[in-house]
Amino acid sequence: MDPIQTEIVVIGAGPGGYAAAFYAADKGKKVILVEQEKRLGGVCLNRGCIPSKALLHATKLVAEAKESHTRGITFEPPKIDLAKMRAWKESILAKLGQGISGLAQKRGILILTGRARFEDSRTLRIETPEGQKFVNFEKAIIAVGSKSAMPKAFDLGNPRIMTSREALELEEIPAQLLIVGGGYIGMELGTVYASLGSSVVVVEALDSILMGADPDLVRPVMKYAEKAFKEVRLKTKVLKMATSGKQIKVTFDESGQEKVEQYDRVLVSVGRVPNCEDFGLENTKVARDEKGFIKVNSQQQTGDPAIYAIGDVAGGALLAHKAAKEARVAVEVITGETTAFENVIIPAIVFTDPEVAWCGLTEAEAKQKGMDVKIAKFPWSASGRALSFDRTDGLTKLVIDPETERILGVGLVGAGAGELISEGVLAIEMGATARDLAETVHPHPTLSETLMECAEVFYGHATHTFTRKP
Amino acid sequence: MDIKLPSLGEGADSGTVVNVFVKEGDQLKMDQPVLELENEKAVAPIPSPAEGKVIQVRVKVGDKLTVGQVMLSLAEGDGAAPKRSEPSPIEGREAAPTPEATTERIEKVQEPSSAKAPPPGIPLPAPPSIRKLAKDLGVDLSKVRGSEPGGRIVLQDVRAYIQKLQQLAFASTPASTKESKPATPPAPQIDFAKWGPVRKEPLSTLRRTISQRMREAWTTIPHVTQFDEADITRLSELRKQQSEAKGAKLTLTCFALKAVVRVLQKYPIFNASLDESTQEVVYKDYFHIGLAVDTDSGLIVPVIRDVDKKDLVTLAKELAELAVKARDRKISLEELKGGTFTISNQGGIGGGHFTPIVNKPEVAILGLGRGALKPAVRNNQIEQRLILPVCLSYDHRLIDGGQAARFVVDLVQEFETFKEDEAKS
Repeated sequence: MDPIQTEIVVIGAGPGGYAAAFYAADKGKKVILVEQEKRLGGVCLNRGCIPSKALLHATKLVAEAKESHTRGITFEPPKIDLAKMRAWKESILAKLGQGISGLAQKRGILILTGRARFEDSRTLRIETPEGQKFVNFEKAIIAVGSKSAMPKAFDLGNPRIMTSREALELEEIPAQLLIVGGGYIGMELGTVYASLGSSVVVVEALDSILMGADPDLVRPVMKYAEKAFKEVRLKTKVLKMATSGKQIKVTFDESGQEKVEQYDRVLVSVGRVPNCEDFGLENTKVARDEKGFIKVNSQQQTGDPAIYAIGDVAGGALLAHKAAKEARVAVEVITGETTAFENVIIPAIVFTDPEVAWCGLTEAEAKQKGMDVKIAKFPWSASGRALSFDRTDGLTKLVIDPETERILGVGLVGAGAGELISEGVLAIEMGATARDLAETVHPHPTLSETLMECAEVFYGHATHTFTRKP
Repeated sequence: MDIKLPSLGEGADSGTVVNVFVKEGDQLKMDQPVLELENEKAVAPIPSPAEGKVIQVRVKVGDKLTVGQVMLSLAEGDGAAPKRSEPSPIEGREAAPTPEATTERIEKVQEPSSAKAPPPGIPLPAPPSIRKLAKDLGVDLSKVRGSEPGGRIVLQDVRAYIQKLQQLAFASTPASTKESKPATPPAPQIDFAKWGPVRKEPLSTLRRTISQRMREAWTTIPHVTQFDEADITRLSELRKQQSEAKGAKLTLTCFALKAVVRVLQKYPIFNASLDESTQEVVYKDYFHIGLAVDTDSGLIVPVIRDVDKKDLVTLAKELAELAVKARDRKISLEELKGGTFTISNQGGIGGGHFTPIVNKPEVAILGLGRGALKPAVRNNQIEQRLILPVCLSYDHRLIDGGQAARFVVDLVQEFETFKEDEAKS
C-alpha cells in the first residue's frame, strides 16, 4: 500500500495537537491528525481538565448545601447515584469529543486512529483498525502528551491503587482514601472525593501543598482541607504499599517515624511522565532530556529538522493552554512566520476550594531571587461581592516593579479566582502599570474589583481598605 | 577645585596637549587660555572655565587629554569663591550630518531602552501584537525605548527606532569605509633606506585629519572643476584707493567674499548640503564662508560668519585678526565649524588655475590663483590687464555643469563690475 502524502502530520489530538492541526489547516496546509484513541481531545478532555471540573462542579453543591443552613436553607443529606454522575460526566466528554471531530472534518483534516511510530524522519507508521498505514510527511508535530507517573514501588497491578485517570472514572466512593502527592491533581480530586463522603488523607513529601504557589495563596486551601479532609500530612513519604484483602496496606515515613495504615483506595498523584516510549523516536534525530521530555528550541523545533514537538511531551508547564500556544508557534514557524515561544505568560489555576490562580512573577520567586518588587494585597473580606456569597477567604495580590510601576505578577485565591486571572495575564502581556489597572473601571459588585482596588492599595488610596501611609 | 577639560563641541572629545600656558602659583582669570590642545580638527586653546590661583598643573605637553579629565587644581582664591561658568558645549552649526555626528547617533540608538530588563520569564513591556511585529521585522525590542508609562513600547516607538536604524545605515556607509579596511589593499611597505638615508616623522593629528577628510571628500564626491578668468584691473585700483582711504587693508579676499556671497544668494544650491541619510538637500539661509589658510602645521579652514551682513571694512578687520590667530595657532574649534562655502585663495603665493577639493559637507569651493598681467582684447585692442584665474569645484551629485557655468560667469561679472560705492561704504 502506498504511503499517504501530507504536508503536516500531527500526532496526538489533545489540546495541543488538535489546535495545531486546525491552525495548520486554516493556513491552507494538508494535514493528517493521528490519535490512538477513538475520541479526540487527549488527556484534557478525556481524563483531565474537563472531567475533573465536571466532577468538582457536581460535588460543590454537596458542600454548599451543607453550609446553607446558616442562611436559613436546610437540605436532607444528599443521595449520590454514581452511575448517573458518571453518565452525566461522560455525556459532556462525548459532546466535546464530537465537537472536535466535527471541527476537524469541516477543515478537511484526515483523522487516522491508531498508534503511530516513526519509521524515519519522513515516515510514520500507524496501526489503524483497518491495518497498517504509512504517512509520508514534510513536517511532523509531536503532541502525544504525558501520563500519570506510577512509581514501581506502588505499581502492584491492584486497581485500588489509582492514578487520576482511574480516580476520574468514579468507580466507587472509598470510605478511606489516601492521596499520595499534594499537588493540584491530588488536591482537586481530594476535594471531589471528600465532598462525596470519603475520608481523605493527603500525604505530601514537601513542607507545603501546591508547590509553586505563594504560601499566602495556599493558606485558605490548607484551611479548607484541614476541615474537609481527615488530614493533610506534610513532610511524609510513602515507603511501600501492599495488597491487604480489599484494602491497601500503606507504610509511611513521617519525619523519620514509620507508620502503617489501611486504606480502601489510594490515589497516586506524584507527577507526570512524557509518552515517549515505543514511538520510534530513535529512528529520527529527535533528542530527549534526562527526564525523557523531547528537547525543543523556542520555535518548538526538535533535533530533527522535520519534526516539532509541543505540549506536555516537550516539557515545561504541563498545561493545556501552554500546549495550545506552542501549537500556534509550531505551525507559524512551519508556515514561514517569524515567531517564538518566548516570555509567554502562562497562568496556573488550581481548582480547589477556594481556587488558586497566579501568573507572571510570584512573590516567593521575587524574594528568592532578591528582586526589588512591591507587593500590594487586597483581602476579599473587603469585597462586597465576596461577602454576598459568604466567601471572604480570598486574597488578590499584585507584584509590582517599584521603578516602572509595571505589573510583573498577579496572585489570587478565592472562589472563582480561576476566572479572574486572565485580566492579570493581559495586564502583564500588555505591559500595564498598576496605574492602568487602578484607572480602569471595574463593574460593581464583582470580584474583578479586587484587582483594581489592589492596584489602588499600591498607591495608598483603595476605597474599601485603609492603608496607613508610611 | 579641580578644573576639568570642558566639552570641545560636537565630535571632539580628546586631544594631545601641545602647550601649557600656566604654571603653579599663577593667578588664573576666567577664560584665560590654560593650554593648547591638538585634535583631529585643529590646535585650539582651552580657556579656563574658572578663576583662582593655580595650585597644581596636572597635565604636561604630550599628554592625551579627554573631556572631563582634570587639567589643573585651583585654590579657592583670596577667600572669594571662585566664579565658575558652566562649561557649555559648543554648538555645532553644521546642517549636514558629519561622520562624528553619526557615531553619536549610533551610540544613542544602541543605548538600551529601559533602565532594567524585566525579570526572567516576563516579556518586555510591549503588547503581544507589537512583540510579534518586532519579531517579524527582526527588531530587537530590548533596544527600543518605550515612550509610554512604565516604559511600555508602542508601535510608534518601533517605527521611530526603525527610522533611526535606516538613517544610520545610510550615514554609516562612508563612515565605515573610513574605519574599515580600504577597498584597495594598502600599498606594500617600501624600504626607502635602500636607496639612501631617510628620516621618518609621525603624521600629526591635524595631518591625519586632513588626509582622512580629503580622502573621504575625494572618494565620495564626484568633482568637476570649472575654470574661468576675471579681469580685476579695475577692482585692483579700487582696492588700492580704498585701502588708503579706510586705513584697513582691503585684500582681494575681502572682495572675493562679497562677490561670492552675492552669487550664492542667486544660486542657493551652492550654499547647500546633501543629507545622504535622508536624501534631502539642506539649503542654508546663512552665509558662513570658510577660508583655506595655509599654516606651518597644515591646512585649516576658519569660517567667517554672516558675510552677507558685513561690509568690506568689517570683513577686512576680521581677516586681519584671523591671519594673526592662525599664525599663533589660536583658532578655536568653533571658528572652524559651520561653513557653507569655502574660498581657497592662492594668489598670495602664486600659481594659476588649480582644482580645489570640496570641503565636505559643503558642495562647492572657489579657488583663486594669482592675478597676473596678461594681454587681453578690449574694444578690439590688445591691452595689458590684470587677470585673475578662477576655479570652481563642485559636487556633481547636487550641481550640474550648467549651473556651475552660470555661477562662474556671474562671479566673474561681480569681480569685474564691483561697485565703487560699495567699496566706499
